[in-house]
Amino acid sequence: MNGPSVNDRISPELERQIGRLLFEKMQPLLLEFDRDWHLVNLHGDAALFGFAPDDAATSVQQLQDLFLGMPMEAAIDLAFVQMPNGRNAHVHLMLVDGGHQVLLIDAQGEHDRQQAQQQVGNESFLIAQQKDKAVRQLRQIRSELESQRNRLQEANALKNALIATLSHDFRTPLASIFGYLHLLEEEPDAPLETRNSLRALRRNANYLFALAENLLEYARSETRSSLLAPVVTDLQMMVEDLDQMFRVQAEDVGLGFSITLDQEPGEPPILDELRLRQILVNLIANAIRYTQSGSVRASLAWRGGSLVLSVRDTGVGIAQEASEAVFVPFNRAGNAGNGGAGLGLSIVKRLVQQMLGTLEFESKLGKGTCFRIELPDLTHLVQKVDARAESEAGQMLAERASSVLIVDDDPDMSHLLGEIMAGVGFRVRVVADATRAVEQALADPPDILLVDVELPGLSGNTAVFRLRAKGYRGHVVTISATPTEEARKVALNAGANQFMTKPINIEQFTRAMLRVRRLD
Amino acid sequence: MSTNASKVCLLGDFGVGKTSLVARYVRNTFSDSYLTTVGVKVDSKEVPLADGAVRKLVIWDIAGKSGLDALNMSYLRGASGLLLVADGTREATLRSAVDLLLQSRSLLPDAHAILLINKLDLVDRWEVAPATLVELRKSMTVIETSARQGDGVEQAFREMATRLHA
Ligand SMILES: Nc1nc2c(ncn2[C@@H]2O[C@H](COP(=O)(O)OP(=O)(O)OP(=O)(O)O)[C@@H](O)[C@H]2O)c(=O)[nH]1
Ligand SMILES: [Mg+2]
Repeated sequence: MNGPSVNDRISPELERQIGRLLFEKMQPLLLEFDRDWHLVNLHGDAALFGFAPDDAATSVQQLQDLFLGMPMEAAIDLAFVQMPNGRNAHVHLMLVDGGHQVLLIDAQGEHDRQQAQQQVGNESFLIAQQKDKAVRQLRQIRSELESQRNRLQEANALKNALIATLSHDFRTPLASIFGYLHLLEEEPDAPLETRNSLRALRRNANYLFALAENLLEYARSETRSSLLAPVVTDLQMMVEDLDQMFRVQAEDVGLGFSITLDQEPGEPPILDELRLRQILVNLIANAIRYTQSGSVRASLAWRGGSLVLSVRDTGVGIAQEASEAVFVPFNRAGNAGNGGAGLGLSIVKRLVQQMLGTLEFESKLGKGTCFRIELPDLTHLVQKVDARAESEAGQMLAERASSVLIVDDDPDMSHLLGEIMAGVGFRVRVVADATRAVEQALADPPDILLVDVELPGLSGNTAVFRLRAKGYRGHVVTISATPTEEARKVALNAGANQFMTKPINIEQFTRAMLRVRRLD
Repeated sequence: MSTNASKVCLLGDFGVGKTSLVARYVRNTFSDSYLTTVGVKVDSKEVPLADGAVRKLVIWDIAGKSGLDALNMSYLRGASGLLLVADGTREATLRSAVDLLLQSRSLLPDAHAILLINKLDLVDRWEVAPATLVELRKSMTVIETSARQGDGVEQAFREMATRLHA
């Protein structure tokens, strides 16, 4: 007979030997109890499991509790039980004549290994679940925002179109009204009554005209199509014009009116004439509207490259607490009933800002108000305006040119990154493995390469290294789930410019990407 | 063995807060970090009841699983109460809790069961819909709990003790 013999029983002697060996190796604790759970004997390292031999009662009670409710007629095995001292053990209850024995076998090492494994498994499951949820929510929010924005844009466009059309449509009939008014006013022998009627007509036509201009300006500013239009401005003519426009109106309601110009000789100012005119029309019309008695006095002073204009009235005044509200469109700060669309001051403020000027006012309730506006000469701005438009266009071009290649095998992650990048204006391509990434990046080099390190097959770092070796010069951001200094070094050595770890902070990430684009 | 002691097991998917509920109830502590349970940890607490009696609960905090395996079955033997725990922010854990209850029925046909929906403090992130809870309440006791803030925890164990005492 060759080979080992197979025996299904080992000799009792051998069994005893093995038993002793295991006993020494595994350091069990054996507790012997009588029928009433009195501890009668104890072998092994009691301290390991927190058994204090002198205060055994508590420990014994806890041990006994383990078998609560269980039928005590057969052996009982309980694996991985944490003892009160925190140590993990396998617990075996054995029945012997007249009592029972409890064997505790240390399971700490086994427990720790299993726990480490289970921890990683559970946590990654939870993280994946959270990520799914976040991506779903992000999509939801995005689409909600999108449709909301579309609705708002539509409504706003409609509103602006309506306002613009209306005010445009006012202009044609108003022009003809002014024409005929002029003809009638020239009539030398008109009776007093007729002349009074004509004044009333002019007053109201003026008002209608100012209203229409304001609405148009409002709509225009909303569509952001209002660039400054600096021209050589004849202040003298403007003052005469305004005097003619408002003197009659003021006198009709018993107010004193004057408009004066103080202009130093020399270069005529370069200003946005139409806007300046609109500022004055609004301020003066407002002053007349809110003044019951006294006077409205306007003055313009052109000195040292800036125009200072003031409009002072002796009217109702503006309450301290309303001093912000008067500049809000369609808010007439408690002066309801005095007519007007409530756009005047809001438009004045915006026009002054557009013309890079400053506006301030002083007011005493019941005493009157004085607006003071300072506007700089716009000569130096003529080029700058163009330059700014140009640089804006340049930036837009750059933005359109920014492209990103995302390399990630997790479709949710690449989708998320894609959404973010597209959201800030990048052209996005996505591939799922390193080989394709290398091909794509060489065929059409992206400005930014976002690459996950942990890819199937070739790693992200290898891809970056190969690309750099073949001369790819774009910005490379390596993303990894391993947040160690070592991982960072490896990525940077392979040729990445930036190393980021998951989970990615979306805000920081977005900012970083925008910074990269600006550096380009 | 003391006759007015009862074994109560916590069953539920992993991470739902079983260990945290026991820590809150027995030691009045809470930790934000997650350390998964392997095997079982047994604690006990004596609950004074309305009629002056005291019932000792021997509480088994069992490793979280979505289904019952042989190991977890071995822990259930002798239990007279089951606290099934779900995490309100993860709807799937509610299904696990119900599955676990059904599976444990073969071994423990008469055990008292109470369903705890934990993480009440995160209620604005709950996936479990109120209507679902209304449905469940028709067939069993459901208590919303927060191990973090303590809401419902004392109530849940007391309710269990009261039922075991009756
Ligand atoms: N906000 C909040 N977090 C909780 C609550 N209860 C538990 N947690 C957290 O949830 C995570 C898991 O809690 P554990 O008590 O360890 O969960 P478990 O059910 O014992 O998990 P396993 O042992 O793996 O089955 C931990 O990070 C806890 O801090 C709660 O009521 N509110
Ligand atoms: Mg646990």
